[in-house]
Parts: sequence; structure tokens; C-alpha cells
Amino acid sequence: MREIVTIQVGDYANYIGSHFWNFQDELLGLAEDPGADPVFKNGLLDMDVFYRAGETQQGIFTYCPRMISIGSRGSLGSLSTSGTLYGNIPSADSMAIATWTGNAARSVAEPYKKNLFLQSLSEEDHDDSGIPASDSKEGDSSHRRERDKDRIECLENGVNSWTDYSKVQYHPKTLYELKGSWADVNKFDDYGIGRDVIAEGSHAEEMNERLRFFIEECDHIQGIQFIVDDSGGFSSVAVEYLENIADEYANTPVLLYNVRDPVSHALPINQRGLITRALHDAVSFSKLASFSKLMVPVGLPSLRSNLSPLLHVKDEKLFYSSAIYAAAIHSISVPFRLEPLRPSTNSTYASGALEIGEIVHLLAGQARQNPVTILDLAMPAPSFTEENNRGAILKYLNPLTPEIGEDDEDPYAVESVTVHGALHSGCNRALISQVKNSICAEYEGRSIKLKFLHLSMFLCPLPIPLPFPSIFTSRVGRHGELLEHEFEGGEPKGSLDVESVPIAARLRSSKAILPFIETRYMNLHKYGLARGSRGDELLRDWGFGREEVEDMGENMSRMLLALDPLSEEASSDSD
Amino acid sequence: MSIRLLNPNAEVLNKSAALHMNINAAKGLQDVLKTNLGPKGTIKMLVGGAGDIKLTKDGNTLLKEMQIQNPTAIMIARTAVAQDDTSGDGTTSTVLFIGELMKQSERCIDEGTHPRFLVDGFDIAKRATLEFLEKFKTPVVMGEVPDKEILKMVARTTLRTKLYEALADQLTDIVVNAVLCIRKPDEPIDLFMVEIMHMRHKFDVDTRLVEGLVLDHGSRHPDMKRRAENCYILTCNVSLEYEKSEINAGFFYSNAEQREKMVAAERRQVDERVKKIIDLKNKVCSGNDKNFVVINQKGIDPPSLDLLARAGIIALRRAKRRNMERLVLACGGEAVDSVDDLTEDCLGWAGLVHEHVLGEEKYTFVENVKNPRSCTILIKGPNDHTIAQIKDAVRDGLRSVKNTIEDEAVVLGAGSFEVAARKYLMDSVKKTVHGRAQLGVEAFAEALLVIPKTLAENSGLDTQDVIVALKGEHDRGNVVGLNQHTGEPIDPHMEGIFDNYSVKRQIINSGPVIASQLLLVDEVIRAGRNMRKPS
Repeated sequence: MREIVTIQVGDYANYIGSHFWNFQDELLGLAEDPGADPVFKNGLLDMDVFYRAGETQQGIFTYCPRMISIGSRGSLGSLSTSGTLYGNIPSADSMAIATWTGNAARSVAEPYKKNLFLQSLSEEDHDDSGIPASDSKEGDSSHRRERDKDRIECLENGVNSWTDYSKVQYHPKTLYELKGSWADVNKFDDYGIGRDVIAEGSHAEEMNERLRFFIEECDHIQGIQFIVDDSGGFSSVAVEYLENIADEYANTPVLLYNVRDPVSHALPINQRGLITRALHDAVSFSKLASFSKLMVPVGLPSLRSNLSPLLHVKDEKLFYSSAIYAAAIHSISVPFRLEPLRPSTNSTYASGALEIGEIVHLLAGQARQNPVTILDLAMPAPSFTEENNRGAILKYLNPLTPEIGEDDEDPYAVESVTVHGALHSGCNRALISQVKNSICAEYEGRSIKLKFLHLSMFLCPLPIPLPFPSIFTSRVGRHGELLEHEFEGGEPKGSLDVESVPIAARLRSSKAILPFIETRYMNLHKYGLARGSRGDELLRDWGFGREEVEDMGENMSRMLLALDPLSEEASSDSD
Repeated sequence: MSIRLLNPNAEVLNKSAALHMNINAAKGLQDVLKTNLGPKGTIKMLVGGAGDIKLTKDGNTLLKEMQIQNPTAIMIARTAVAQDDTSGDGTTSTVLFIGELMKQSERCIDEGTHPRFLVDGFDIAKRATLEFLEKFKTPVVMGEVPDKEILKMVARTTLRTKLYEALADQLTDIVVNAVLCIRKPDEPIDLFMVEIMHMRHKFDVDTRLVEGLVLDHGSRHPDMKRRAENCYILTCNVSLEYEKSEINAGFFYSNAEQREKMVAAERRQVDERVKKIIDLKNKVCSGNDKNFVVINQKGIDPPSLDLLARAGIIALRRAKRRNMERLVLACGGEAVDSVDDLTEDCLGWAGLVHEHVLGEEKYTFVENVKNPRSCTILIKGPNDHTIAQIKDAVRDGLRSVKNTIEDEAVVLGAGSFEVAARKYLMDSVKKTVHGRAQLGVEAFAEALLVIPKTLAENSGLDTQDVIVALKGEHDRGNVVGLNQHTGEPIDPHMEGIFDNYSVKRQIINSGPVIASQLLLVDEVIRAGRNMRKPS
């Protein structure tokens, strides 16, 4: 078994993670459900890669994500940090004080109200009838549909925390709240603040201890999937974490997604804010990159217009945008869980198994040393019909990485494409060989050939769990197929109308990332390094000496150089 | 005012309003923490909106739990928490002292005294009190074998303010023995060498000292022994798992055979390392009934575990980094980074190694070691918040013992120092001060009494009676403190109530500094948020 430990740092990372684990939970449920589409039952996706089996003190077996989630205090909403699985439910018993016989004062905060969705989850737990969705009676099912509609509506209208729509139960070691003693939650927005908080108390030690707990259990850890919300103070928390990982588990590769929600892209109002933001971006990028072998920046300023016309994403709602990113991260992780077959053999269900270490090596260590990779997503993926659509998939892949350039002529580009649940026509699944042929033909047809392409395919589509935003337009069918006739002004569809969607996701290492790095490099120069620059003092507040900042600049310029050897002349000119 | 030009929404509090805001904040914080103080204080249970429980009687913990918004309160809280960081205790006392200094100042200021005079007086009084503390303290000679009784008295005084008596008394011996175990003469004490481990156990509140180490994981092979006596311990930081090296991580083998070959070669290297450990085991354990335990900081994969298990070795992987150091101190031997040149000298020794399983949690006890220089305090409790509270208390207890050894002095407790210091300030120091700074000295002296006053209040006694009685005894030349049960004066020396010298020193030092800063504030400017709004 090749285990993966997932680490989620920061609020938006947890929003994405919550969707990610909902997908996994849905897959686990569908594999057990006799009424589900048989495509979910081939058992080829090894869930043990992401999950751990455990046992409570009462002898009850558990199956939890092998995951650590770091969030700010109060970000867990109605969920208790120790979870409910391991019998830590508050009871009259636990209100007794066993250590003090004198006076006692109890201060009980008003319990957080659970929304309709979470209420229904805990009800299900209580009357454990175990009857899955396949109800026989007509009235029952319509009643259920009504109820589901209500549950979805409550999520559409108000998600205040990532736990509001999570249907997964977590291990007590999973959830960790970072108590920035007196830091204002709203101002946890730059590198320095995170650094101060992590330096206080024993946060770093506790976080590392939890990671050690999960890693000790692993027989052959293949890597760490790390999602960080790098828009604010959490990026320095992540840097601290990554530094320890690099130190303690030197040979364990890390696949890092640095994510941002659309709201965080809003520009600060004043000049000072702008400089702080620019420097934060530059510093956090440079530091994160220095501790990870492969980093994938994710997070567009707006998803409304930049994705497939079949999707309707509300930018202002984290619940919406995070679902898209989670789908992409899920797809990228599919090959990590496939049975590693011999390279030559092919299966009818899946092909192209890959480990984190291999994908890191493939993308970041092949043609040139470029650790920054672009993530693209096609959701829903187009159908692979023979006649008209051949060569369409590339057109459908939309980048989720911001600030990138055109990607036409990079002979050194390396790509890894994952397609799963692809359709052939209507609701029929395409064969693995059909997908492969189609994609290969498409890449063959390009004028500039890639340096290398890895292709992973899997028959099983992305299941849409009930707590999922209504992001599909009315042209998307039940299985993610494209419906012929368009309903005018149809309501957006959600999990009640769409069961699953085919997905294609791609990681590419290409010159197109240049503008992303360049901006950060320029900003560091302009505000941090140039003589008399205005961010000088700020950087010192964050604990960086001049030399350290120069090192950061050098690292970035090396990255630029690796991507574009010609840029050397340009930058030396400007000096 | 210019700030108004820049930001019309900015709010400016003028001098007296600013002063009163500061005084009120200090008093407010004092009110919150007041009930914490002493062995008769009130324990606090905080239940969060999601049902998370926090149990504490420690001012430090409580301050960290409170989401303080008021800037003055934050300033005081930070000082108090810093107090805990440097000396391990005294958070509540610091907050009380600052609050009381502000209260006393308020009276003088209302009568027309300029804060400047008070601040000058504070400064004189502070220096005088510190000098007095030097005379007042009880020196303790440490030498080779420290006086265990006095250490116990200090630890007990601290612990009894956090836990009920029987539990505190049980822990007293544990923390004193723990610190004496790790102490090396003429070296600073590193409390990290005391591991604090906990187990959740439904009906049990129990704590014990393990001379040796308790690790929070077990072996990962079904055939390894769960209990072994007379064990050699190999502490190492050597990877015993097959890792793909960077260059070979790829896919570009021309055929499957080549790939297998590479894998086999890599595997062989790991196996050789394992074999070297087995060789050593065979060398030292053949012909006797001794056992062999490997505790590794790096990973051990199943094939390696298999080989080790077949050789009769118990192996633990991914040990805590800090435990590497603790293991060597507890068991002897050395921590090795490579398995080349392994000799018997590298090995440590433990009389007993055994595993304890609670659900999915496993604990490995490495016990009966010869000359332990590291030990473990094992806490059992019915739930997480009880464990957390005992853990906090244990930390405070350890710190108090460490402080005593390093200070080579203690201070009589139960409020006796404060009453004596007040008397000294009023009788001897005040006379030497000219002008209105006298008022500052007086305020400082009165503020010191907040400790005995609060102790009396928390015990349900009449504060005035108690203070009058204490003052009277001191005037007669008897150094007495407060009996919490009767309110009568007692001799703290006889009762064994001692506080840490460094903690007291720190309180006297930092309290007036913050109070002075707060008093000298002329103007408070805040743009963006309304500070008069209650939060």
C-alpha cells in the first residue's frame, strides 16, 4: 500500500478539502450501495491510500481520512475539534470536575446551531437503519426528494464554515485550531502575522506531532498532499510545516497546492495595502517554493467567466468555487490510487497509475527544473465521440492557475493528463482505448510537440454528493452528458439532477507560468530590494534580513532562468 | 487635531478619558482573574459553542482562552503571559497587582495628583521592594544533594492552587523526583527531558512517574513480543525502508525486468542495514536470555520488520525526535546515525519493555533502567480536558522545582511577603522620599496587599479583619501569612508554604512598569473602530 497523508492549512484549503473528502465519502458509499452504477464498484481505486482504519477504545472500528486540518480558531463552526467518532461527546459526565473540590464556575457558550444538512446527518447516525437511497415506496421517495431539496437549499443559502457541508467524520488528531492568542481573525492576512502566531506557544510542535502520528502508521508513504490557503497568514504556518517535513521526512515528496479564493483577489484600498499584498505574495511564493518539489498555484480571480459555459459558479460563495478546485484535485489524485500495473499492460478500467514521487519527478525534474505547475480542468469533460469531437479535449481544458501566459510553443513542456469517467455518446462510457487514441491523436496533431506526456485514465466519473453547489447549467445531463435541447432559462442544476460528471484534469509544466513568477519577482525587487524601497521595514517586521530577501530574489530569478534562458540578458540589462 | 484632518472617523480620547479607559480595563481584567488565586480559588470550565471543553484554574491559560479586544487589556495580558513564559507561574498575581496599582492610582489622580508623581514613586518603591526581597528571601543550599523537603514544599504550594489536595500531594513527590532525576549538578535544568505522556482512561484519575520512557506507539509487526525483560536498547536514526532514490524514481525502464532489477538492488541495501543490526543482536544476546529492542527515528518498512521479527527483535519506528535524546539519557548507550561499526557500547539497557494497548492507541514502556537521566510523567484521566488541566499543573509544578534549584532561594508565602514589604515601604522608605512621590510609594505599598486580600476573599473571609490581624502581627515583628481555613495568622515556615523567588521578583519588576506606561498615556487615538462600544 502506498499511503498519502493530506494536510490542509487555512480556511479556503479546508473548504476545498471538505468537498474533496465528500467526494471520497461518496465513492466509498457508492461502492457499498447495491443500487449504484456498477462503474463505481470495480474496486480499482484503492481508498486506503487516503484513509486509515482505526479502532476506538470501545472497540468500534473506524475509517477516517488520513488528514490534518489546520484552521483558525472558530473556523470549525459547529464541529468539535475532537470529532464525534472517538466518544468525546459532551455529556453530564464530562461536566463533572475531577481535579478540584473547591468552587467551580462554568461558562457555557451558546451551542452553535447546526444547519438542516448537519442535523439530518446526525439523525441518520442515531437511527442507524442502514437503508440506502433505494427506497421502494413511491411516496417515500418523493418525500425524500422534498427533504433533500430542503437540505440543499439550506446549503445554497448559507454556508458559514467548511464544516457546514462536510459529511465526513474525522479522527480526533485531524482537526487543529490555531489559537492566535489575541490576533484579530480579520487581520490574519499577511506573512508576518502567521509567523508571530506560530512562534507563540507550542503550535509547531503539536502540528508536527500529529503528522508523526499519521506517518508512523504508514508502511510505505508515497507522499504528502498539501493544500494551503496562501492568501494570508497561513502561508507562513505552512512554510513552518514544510520546513519540518523537509527536515524530518526528507525523502517523502510533497505535492503542494497553494490555493486562493476569488474574494481574496479583491484589491486593497490603499497604497500601503497594495505593497503589503505584493510583498506577501512574493515572499510566500518564494518560501513555499523553496520547501516543495512541486507546487501548483490554484485560484482564479473569477470563475464565472473563465470556465466551461456549462458551469455557473458564483464567485462570492466559497462553497461554490471550492467545489471546482476540489474536483480538479480529486482528479489529479486518481492515478495515485490506481493499482500500479506494469507499464506495458493495459486494463479495460484504468491505466496510467502514478505515484506522487513519480509525478513530481516527471513534472519538476524532467526537462528543466521548474517546480511551478499549471492546473487545468475540463468539467464536465467532453464526450469522446469518434466523428466530430476528436481533438476537442485540449480546447475544453481551462486553467485554474492565475496570471499565466499563452502556451503555444514550448518544446520543453511536460504534461500529465487524467481523464476519468469519460463518455462516448449519450450516457455510454468511452473505452479506455478510445480515450487514449483520441488524446494521443490530438497531441500528435500539435505543431510543437511536448517533451513528455503522461496519460492516466479511469472509467469511474466524479460522483456528485448531496452537499454540492448547484453549478451546472440546464444543458448538463444526469451523467454529465451534454443535452441536445436547451431549456431556456432553466434553473441551475445541482446534486439532485446530476449524479456524476466526467472530468479531465491536467498538470503542465510550461513556459506559460512565466508571468506568474515574474510578477512576484518584480514586486520583490520593486518594494523589497530596490534602494529606499517602501517595503523594507515591513520585511524586517516579518523577520527577514536583507540577505534573506536577496536570497529569495535569487531563487526566483533562477526559476525564471530555468524556464526562459533568454531572460538572463533582459534582467542583466535592467540592472 | 491633525488626526481628524487625516481621518474624520478617527476617535480621540483626551487625557482623563484615556486614563480612565486604562484603569477600567485593568480593573476589569483583575475582576476576571481574581477568583483564580490561591488554594481556595474557583476553577473555571469553559464550554465552547461546538462542545469543546476547557478546564483551568491557571491565569495564564484563562488569558489565552479569552478573546480580549480591549487594547489596554491586551497589553496587560501580554505582560502576564510573558511572566509565565519566563518564570512559569504568577500570571494571576501579575494581573492582580497591575489592576491594584491602577486602582490605587485612580484615587490619587481623582484627588488631583499628576500621574508623573505616582510613576516616580512606583519606581522608588519598586527598587526598594526588590532590595527588601533580597533580605527577606530564605536561602536554600543546593549542593550535591538538594534538600528534598524544601523542594516538596514549594511544589506543593504551587500544585495545591491548581488541583485538590490529595491529588496535589500525590503529584508533589512525582514532580520533585522527576526534576531530581534529570538534574545534573552545575548545569541548567532542561525540563524537556521530562516527558509528559497521557492516557485516556474511562474511570481513572491517576498519575505516576515512570523511571524511563513511555512512547506513544508500539511495534508494527504481529510476531514481535509485547513484553520483554533484560533488554538491550538500540537508539538509531537510520532509514530501514526502501525508498526510491531521486534518479530512479522514474518510469523509463526499457523493460519490466530492468525495473525489477533496480528495485532489487535498492532493497538489498536496506536488507544489509537490517542485517547489521541482527548481527549485533546475535553477538550480544546469544547464549543468554537477554532481549533486543530497536527504536528508530526513521521508518521501518514491513519487509525489514519481518526480518527483525524473525530474529526476535522488537522494533519501533518513527520515534519522536526528542525521544532520541531522552532514550539515551534514560537507558544509556548512544543514538547512532549509521549501522556501520555498531558495537555493544552503542547499546542502552532497560530491565523491562512492554506494550500497553487502548483501542488503536499503543504505548510502549521502557522501564527499570539503571541510572535514569530522563523520565516520564504518565497522566491518566477520564477525558481530554481533565488530562489537559493536570498537564498544565504538572508543568507548573516542574517549573517551581526547577526555579527553586536555580534560585537557591525561596520566599515565604501565604501573603506574608506582601504584608512585610508593605510595612517596610511605609515605615522605612516613605520617609526618605520627598514631595508627592510619597503618594506613589504609598499606593505601591497598598497595592501589594491585593494578594493577601484576594486570598482572604476567595476563602470567604472578611478582608478587613484579616488584613488588620496580619498587619498587627507584623508590627509586633512576627512574619506571618494567612491561614486559608480560619483567617488566623500563621507562620508560613511552619506550614511549609513557600513561593518561588524568581516569580515574586518578576511580578515586582513587571507590574509597575506596565502600570506606569498606562498611567502616562496622554491620548488614545484609534481609527476605524469604535472603542467605546462594548465588545
